[in-house]
Amino acid sequence: MGKYIGLRVLQSLFVLFGLSLLIFSASRVIPGDPARVALGPLATEEQVQELREEMHLDKPFLVQYYFWFTSVLRGDLGESLYTRRPVVTDLKRFIPATLELIVFAFLLSLIIGQTIGILAGHFRDSWFDGLSRLISYIGIATPPFALGIFLLLIFSYILNLMPSVGRLSLGLRSSPQITGFLIFDSLITGHLDVAWEAFKHIILPAISLTAANLAQESRITRSSIVENQQKDYITAHIVYGIPTRSIIFKYLLKPSFIPTVSIMGLDIAYLLGNAFLVEVVFMWPGFSRYGVTVMLNKDLNAIIAVVLVIGVAFSVVNLIVDIVVSFLDPRIRLQRKGG
Amino acid sequence: MRPLLEIKNLHVRFRTFKGELKVLNGVNMVIGEGERVGLVGETGCGKTTTMKSVLRVLPPPARISAGEIFYRGKDILRMKPGEIQNFRREISAIFQDPLTALNPVFTVGHQLHDVIKYLSKARNGKYLSREEIKARCIAVLEETGMPDSERILSNYPVQLSGGMRQRVCISEALSVAAQLLIADEPTTSLDVTIQDQILRLLARLVEEKNISIILITHAFGVVSEVTDRVYVMYAGNIVETARTEEFFSNPLHPYTHGLMNAIPKLTGEGIAKGIEGRIPNYLNPPAGCRFHPRCKHKTSICKKKKPPLFTTGDNHRVACFLYQR
Amino acid sequence: MPEKEFLVAALSKRKDDFLKRWYYFSRNPLSIVGLIVLLLIFLAAALAPYITPYPEHAGAFTNFREASLPPSLTHFFGTDSVGRDVFTRIIFGYRFSLFLVVVVLSLGVPLGIILGLVAGYYKDTWIEIAIMRITDIFLSVPPLVLALAITAMLSPNLLNQMAAVSLVWWPWYSRLVYEITTSLRQEDFVREAELIGASKTHILLREVLPNCTASILTKMTLDAGLVIIVGASLSFIGLGVQPPKPGLGTMIADGARRLPAEWWTAVFPALAIIIVILAFNFVGDGLHDMFAVEEV
Repeated sequence: MGKYIGLRVLQSLFVLFGLSLLIFSASRVIPGDPARVALGPLATEEQVQELREEMHLDKPFLVQYYFWFTSVLRGDLGESLYTRRPVVTDLKRFIPATLELIVFAFLLSLIIGQTIGILAGHFRDSWFDGLSRLISYIGIATPPFALGIFLLLIFSYILNLMPSVGRLSLGLRSSPQITGFLIFDSLITGHLDVAWEAFKHIILPAISLTAANLAQESRITRSSIVENQQKDYITAHIVYGIPTRSIIFKYLLKPSFIPTVSIMGLDIAYLLGNAFLVEVVFMWPGFSRYGVTVMLNKDLNAIIAVVLVIGVAFSVVNLIVDIVVSFLDPRIRLQRKGG
Repeated sequence: MRPLLEIKNLHVRFRTFKGELKVLNGVNMVIGEGERVGLVGETGCGKTTTMKSVLRVLPPPARISAGEIFYRGKDILRMKPGEIQNFRREISAIFQDPLTALNPVFTVGHQLHDVIKYLSKARNGKYLSREEIKARCIAVLEETGMPDSERILSNYPVQLSGGMRQRVCISEALSVAAQLLIADEPTTSLDVTIQDQILRLLARLVEEKNISIILITHAFGVVSEVTDRVYVMYAGNIVETARTEEFFSNPLHPYTHGLMNAIPKLTGEGIAKGIEGRIPNYLNPPAGCRFHPRCKHKTSICKKKKPPLFTTGDNHRVACFLYQR
Repeated sequence: MPEKEFLVAALSKRKDDFLKRWYYFSRNPLSIVGLIVLLLIFLAAALAPYITPYPEHAGAFTNFREASLPPSLTHFFGTDSVGRDVFTRIIFGYRFSLFLVVVVLSLGVPLGIILGLVAGYYKDTWIEIAIMRITDIFLSVPPLVLALAITAMLSPNLLNQMAAVSLVWWPWYSRLVYEITTSLRQEDFVREAELIGASKTHILLREVLPNCTASILTKMTLDAGLVIIVGASLSFIGLGVQPPKPGLGTMIADGARRLPAEWWTAVFPALAIIIVILAFNFVGDGLHDMFAVEEV
């Protein structure tokens, strides 16, 4: 098992290396002069030349890559051509907000999606099943930013239930930051009012972000349960006297959960990607909105950094998902051992 | 002596897109205490459906449209859920494919543990301790001749051989079955070399514990060795039943003749002959006797009326108008 | 002539196959609805200049006297802030979305399929390793993010958007086809073809590929919806269809800025996207049923 993890980690590292090469070459291959773009048309030629030398733009490609790669390994992702701050500082500032949003969205999809799927599977062909199926279809077909707009329109503007922007309303003092997760921090430091505010702010973007995932997961779980209900081993369990409760929550649930876990990697990819849009719609001060800003400003260093961070995050997530799946389904684990 | 299990005029239908499949068409069977019964018939004739009806695990598209099943005098089909749980402690089953009959994502020990845990709670009114349950598991596995039982407990079904898996299923079934065991083609999916072993094991255990067994199979050889009485099923009906000896020395129903002729003879004489025709379409089964389209001896009444089981001689019954007295 | 009879028999078998498959597809009423809606949308988009009430509004047009009008009989979906008819622009907007789907699926998918076939067939050689590692690299980042980054680094316009999305899409198909190919490599019919001396191209295209068709077609229909979402997302952020062109995402971005006033400028384009994606998904479900039966 350890060997398997080691192999996968090595594979991920190789892929990340390739990704960095890919994205770095893309940034140097594009038409236009990065230095000029960064400084704008008003800068003088000397200033541009100075920046060019700083960025090693006059040197051969591989040399440029070498310089860049070694600085990344040192933890220096370069300076944002736009904010003139080290990119790493910007990242540290914005990542917690996005992380909180994604984790919250993920938990939502897990809890609500699985519950709906399980209920729909058990009461198949009931009105609940039909209704959840209908809502799933719509959920999958709605782009997250469109859903965000609808939710904003309904809950924020018309019903005035939820705030529309940011993580906290202005004028409210935030609680001491421990993890950077507002809700968590404020809960454990006892600032319940802050926690409630933060919750109200996070709920709409989280739903927009995760609705399609939720819908997809509930469908998959539902089919999985329906399919497994017919399996011989469930009949055997019934015949051998295992109580219904145990069958539903243990013997049926575990095999049915596996397909859902398998797509969790893709789900998180979806979350990571669509965060870019949802954060824009809700003006969420996160890493993804930062990403959009730097992309619109052609801030090359920052763009590369953003892509890399996402690549790393995604690789880590995939690794974890693979491990969890092989843990849940012994057949996969055992096949790998050459059995 | 009151029979242990009595199936009376059981009709089962399956709902499908195209209409209703009238699978079981009035099945009648009687099993006595300690009796070993063989149920033969080709694939698709309704053997498994009958068994599932008795165990009350018919899948949703199926419904019991008529008939009764009496277990110790009580109609199973009208039992309340609580009573059903009790009766599950007395009747058990072994399924055809041990690989699909075991949950693939739990260890064998885990599944066996739960079976024994809930069983002992029901029988003794309280839960046994973990060690006691584990000891029972090992004991029960060893009874089936499983080598190295303790180590097996931590294996997953996919890690075991077919024979070992079937032994696990047998131990699960036998720990639960107090009175009756239904074995649905227990050796068909096993290696030929193991089949014999498993059958002998079953026969021995059944005799030791003095429980009744319904052995469902399509192999006559097995039936002749292990059973006291034989039932032949065709297209949802019992067409013949007799004591095993009587059955093999004097088969009566045309279908039975066809089946016997289809067996290649050890002496090598003659060619095994198949039966002409095919099993009927359950959507629109033939009227009257369901076998009549394939029967060489059919008469006009066969097409109109379904033959009941006529008694001929010593407890030998045939559903054929040829034997109407 | 025996060849002719053979040909006729083969053709009528294909017709039977097609009819049988159509039967399974049509058993799902939603799929039929989806198909009809798709056809309508395609037609409407193709004939946009001829059937829309204000074709000149699909571009740089201003008429401030008629700006920001709510939905009415003259303007079904109202007008936007510079006076353009929203309904017309949506129909034209479909052109961009559908065009993107066509381009991405006709560029990215064949590329992915070919690479997948080659990689799967030449398993355990450097060819496979090279192709699959590159595929892995492209798949290491969520497609939307990569498309955003690529478009951002080039200049944001329609052409680059199409190129970026195609670039990001092919790896999914190469992985899918790779997995099917590797599992089929050991099958008898491939071995036999090799023994007879069939060329590799023949084996890949005639023996292996047909087995992938079902998965590929189903995936393509479901991907169509995703491509539209990615395209609209790019436009929404500002990296895709640029104003004043009527991309659906661009229109939604414009409308979102003014919320809750003039809600119709954001809501109707959003609904338009949802409907076309629903249609694709229903058809995809029907296709899935259609092919799933064959496996029985």
